[in-house]
Amino acid sequence: MWLQHALARFLGTFGAQLLLGVVGVMGYLTFNVLFLIWLERKVAGHIQRRPGPMEVGPHGAWQTVADMLKLLSKQLLTPVAADRFTYLFAPILVFLPTLCVASLIPIADVQTFADMPNGLIVIVALSGVTVISIFMAGWSSNNKYAVLGGMRSVAQVIAYEIPVLLAALSVVLVAQSLDLRVIAAGQKVPYALLQPVAAVIYLIGITAETNRAPFDIPEAESELVGGFHTEYSGMRFAMFFFAEYTNMLVLGALGATLFLGGWKGPLLPGTVWLLLKAYAVIFLMMWARWTFPRLRFDQLMSFAWKLLIPIALLNVAVTALVLGVVR
Amino acid sequence: MMLPGRIARGFRSLLAGLGVTGRHLVRPIVTLQYPHERPDASHWGGPIELVTFPETGTHDCIACNACARICPSDCFEIEGARPEGARKMRATKFLLDFSTCSLCGLCIDVCPTDTLQYSKRYDEAAYQRVQTVNDLLAPFPEDPYFTGKLT
Repeated sequence: MWLQHALARFLGTFGAQLLLGVVGVMGYLTFNVLFLIWLERKVAGHIQRRPGPMEVGPHGAWQTVADMLKLLSKQLLTPVAADRFTYLFAPILVFLPTLCVASLIPIADVQTFADMPNGLIVIVALSGVTVISIFMAGWSSNNKYAVLGGMRSVAQVIAYEIPVLLAALSVVLVAQSLDLRVIAAGQKVPYALLQPVAAVIYLIGITAETNRAPFDIPEAESELVGGFHTEYSGMRFAMFFFAEYTNMLVLGALGATLFLGGWKGPLLPGTVWLLLKAYAVIFLMMWARWTFPRLRFDQLMSFAWKLLIPIALLNVAVTALVLGVVR
Repeated sequence: MMLPGRIARGFRSLLAGLGVTGRHLVRPIVTLQYPHERPDASHWGGPIELVTFPETGTHDCIACNACARICPSDCFEIEGARPEGARKMRATKFLLDFSTCSLCGLCIDVCPTDTLQYSKRYDEAAYQRVQTVNDLLAPFPEDPYFTGKLT
C-alpha cells in the first residue's frame, strides 16, 4: 500500500495500480512456472518410483531456478534462413493471450483483474490465438520438423477447441450466464457433479490444447525433435515453456471456475481455494501425462471429431432438454 | 458396433491405467541415490591392488615380475630393490596401467606371495589416459623393510 502511494506520486493512481498489478501477476506467474516444472518432474519421478530432482536445494526446490538462470545465460541462436521478424516475434506473442485470459478469471468473490459480463466468450476467443504464435514459430524457423509441429498444433487445437467450447456451453446452459463470476457463484454443488461428461471432455480438451501428453504430437520429442520450438534456444525457448505452463494454470483455473466452484470453499480465502482447485486439475493432467502413451495423429483426429464432439453435442442437447423440462 | 460399450470399456481402461500409476506414485522409491548411497560391491572384482597382510601391516611384493611376465596386456611396470641385510627383494615401484588391464586375473593366480587381489573399487574414471595408471604402492607410503622396522 505504501508502495502504491509512493508510486502514485510519479505515475498517478491508475499508473501505480497498473504497474504493481502487472509486477505482482508476472511475479506470481514466474513462480508458478518454476513450481509447476518442479512439480512435473517430481510427479514424473515418483510415478516411476524415483525421487526426481533432489540435488539443488531441499528436495530439488531450486532446480528450476537454476535451470532458468542457465537458460537466461545461453546464447540466442537465429537460423540463417529464418523469417527473422516472425521468428523473433512468436515467443513474445505466444505469451500474450494466456496473460489476457488470466486477467479474466475471477480470483475471489469481488476481485477480477478485468471484469466482463461475457468473459467466457472472450476467453474462448483468446485461447485460440496461442496457436497462431505457435504456428508462426514453426513456420518462421524454416525447419521441416518445426513446420510439421506447427501444423499439427493448428490441426489439433482446432479439433479440440470445439469439445472444450461445447463442454463450457453445457455449463453455461446450467448457469444461465456467460459471466464467470455468476457461473462460479451459482454452484451450490460443483458443476463437475451435475455435468460429469462435460467435465471429462473439458479435461481431455485442455490437455490437448496445452499440447501435453498424450496429445503432445506438436512437440513429440521422439519423432519431431522438439516440434515448433526445435530452432529456439535460450530465453526464447524458455518463453514457450513459460507460456505452456502458464496456459496450464490458466486453463486449470478456468476449469476450476467452470466445474469446481471457483473461489468458493470454507475457511481459506477465495484466491487460495481457486489456486488449490486449479493445481488439482493440473495434477490430474500431469498424472495423465505420465500414464498414457502418445496418440498417433490420425487417432488423435478421429478421437476429437468422431467421439468427443458428438458426445459433447449430445451432452449439450440433453442438458438443454432436461433444463427445458425442469424449468 | 456397440459404441457406448466400447467407450465405456476404453474409459475404464484409462482409469485402470491411472490407477496403476497412482499406486506407484505413493509407493517408496526404488532407485539408488548414487553419490549419496553406494551399492553393495562386496562381490565386485575391481582394479588389481596389493594385499595388506595383517601380520606385517604391509604388502609382500618381492618384485619377482611374475605378474608382469604373464600379463597378456603388458600392464605392469615394476622395479625392486634389496633392503640392506635382507634376503628378499621389495618392490619400490609398482605401476598398473588400468586402461589396458582386462581384469583377467592371471597375475593374481601367478603371484608367489599371494599379494595381489581384486579391489572393491568400481567407480574409476579419469579425464586423461595417464590418470588411469594406478600406483599400487600409493597406499603404502612407508615400507617397514626399508626403514628397518621389519626384517
